Amino acid sequence: MINSNGRRRVVVTGQGVVTPLGTGVDRFWAALKNGECGIRQAQSFSTEDLYITIAGEVPDFDPKERLKSKSLLLADKFSQYAGCAAAEAVAQSKLELPLKDSESYRSACIIGSGVGGLTTLEFSYKMLFKENKRATHPLTLLKAIGSSASAHVSIEYGIKGPTFGLVSACATATHSIGLTYRMIREGLVDFGIAGAAEASLNWGATRAWQAMRVLSPDGLFPFSKRRNGTVLAEGAGILMLEEYERAKARGAPILAELVGYGMTADAADMVNPSIDGASMAMQIALDDAGLSASDIDYVNAHGTATTVNDVNETRAIKRVFGNAANKLSISSTKSMHGHCLGAGGGIEAVAAVKSIGENFVPATLGLDEIDPECDLDYTPNVGRKREVNYAMSNSFAFGGLNAVLVFGPPPA
Amino acid sequence: MDDVATKIIEILRKNMKDPSKAVTLEMPLSDLEIESLDLAVIVFDIEDTFGIEIPYNANEEVEAFATVGSVVDRVKSIIAETKASGAAA
Repeated sequence: MINSNGRRRVVVTGQGVVTPLGTGVDRFWAALKNGECGIRQAQSFSTEDLYITIAGEVPDFDPKERLKSKSLLLADKFSQYAGCAAAEAVAQSKLELPLKDSESYRSACIIGSGVGGLTTLEFSYKMLFKENKRATHPLTLLKAIGSSASAHVSIEYGIKGPTFGLVSACATATHSIGLTYRMIREGLVDFGIAGAAEASLNWGATRAWQAMRVLSPDGLFPFSKRRNGTVLAEGAGILMLEEYERAKARGAPILAELVGYGMTADAADMVNPSIDGASMAMQIALDDAGLSASDIDYVNAHGTATTVNDVNETRAIKRVFGNAANKLSISSTKSMHGHCLGAGGGIEAVAAVKSIGENFVPATLGLDEIDPECDLDYTPNVGRKREVNYAMSNSFAFGGLNAVLVFGPPPA
Repeated sequence: MDDVATKIIEILRKNMKDPSKAVTLEMPLSDLEIESLDLAVIVFDIEDTFGIEIPYNANEEVEAFATVGSVVDRVKSIIAETKASGAAA
């Protein structure tokens, strides 16, 4: 079915997450299967004078539990989330450390973030402008910049190949994973840590989001008639990607194969998505994978529960899948973990890989009354056992930035 | 036309595709060719000018904003509510 044309194959040998449903893939996946919801009344920041008071916050995160390095313990939370998720992925992959000299320059670390250390910035500005402090803490700049997560993780594991942060709003993690995939495929590197982290839940950011008028004060109900906006969340999603023969030779666990990647831009509007951009990204990912639409079993939708995304995504899926859309299982796990912004695509990629390994499609919560304009099978309320060989994960970001990944079973 | 209506029409004009177009109280908002983000900017300008908060969700159908006149009426009633409750913006 897959014609790899002699091209190098890329597999997933490890995963790690930090999410509003908990830290660690086992906890996260159990919560997805149980239909738990990580969206609650916000507690990590003041909700004084806000009319949006709910968010998907990471519960009980203790950086000291998984992070050993002093510099990561002093970093912004987004870097800590990345470090923690990377640690889980690396441990699962059984990567032998320290890396040999022959390996270190042939490995990559691409960890993006939508806004980086925004919470550090908010705190620092408060100190400077409100409290008239004479100086900011010396680590402020390093904590704030978006590249620090990738830098910290590269230092942690001795990765000396391509290492930087990537930015594309809600498509950040998907683009980061896709880029690393292409680097391995094209022979630039042999393995890499890829994904993104976001920790932007704070008072100022919520005020800024409120002004855009796209948040819901009630909850995140994708594809539902009652949907009225999205809910902000945070976390990190990281994959260890590796060239297949190398992974096989060293006996690494192989969770899935990354078979296709598509990226497009709408070139249309800063907020309203277009069907063309979304459908092209999915089509390009399928073509890249050498698959037809009917090969896909499960689509982890972008599904932000805004009025515009959900109907646009439905139409785009119908355009790409045609009649095959009727046999597709689709769901938006954002209904459970919230909109993790830059990190979302990474967390959702992990859900897609798990769906293949476990032959289970997580539900879309809150789908009591389907919007007649979103009339595909969005797996309402209860997850389902289903054979999943190929899973697609969609990310459609502000500005019309689209990225789609397709995962398949471990090579036979 | 009163002061509130004048100010609102000024704000609308600033954010329209074609600012030279005539704006009357009876005009439906759709005639002004305002897109969703522009609407958020307009709401922000109005809030800032009058020191009020306008509850508005871009995901919901808002009949209250059908015409320019209905926007003026809504703003006036929020101004009155805000004054009555003594709440600062």
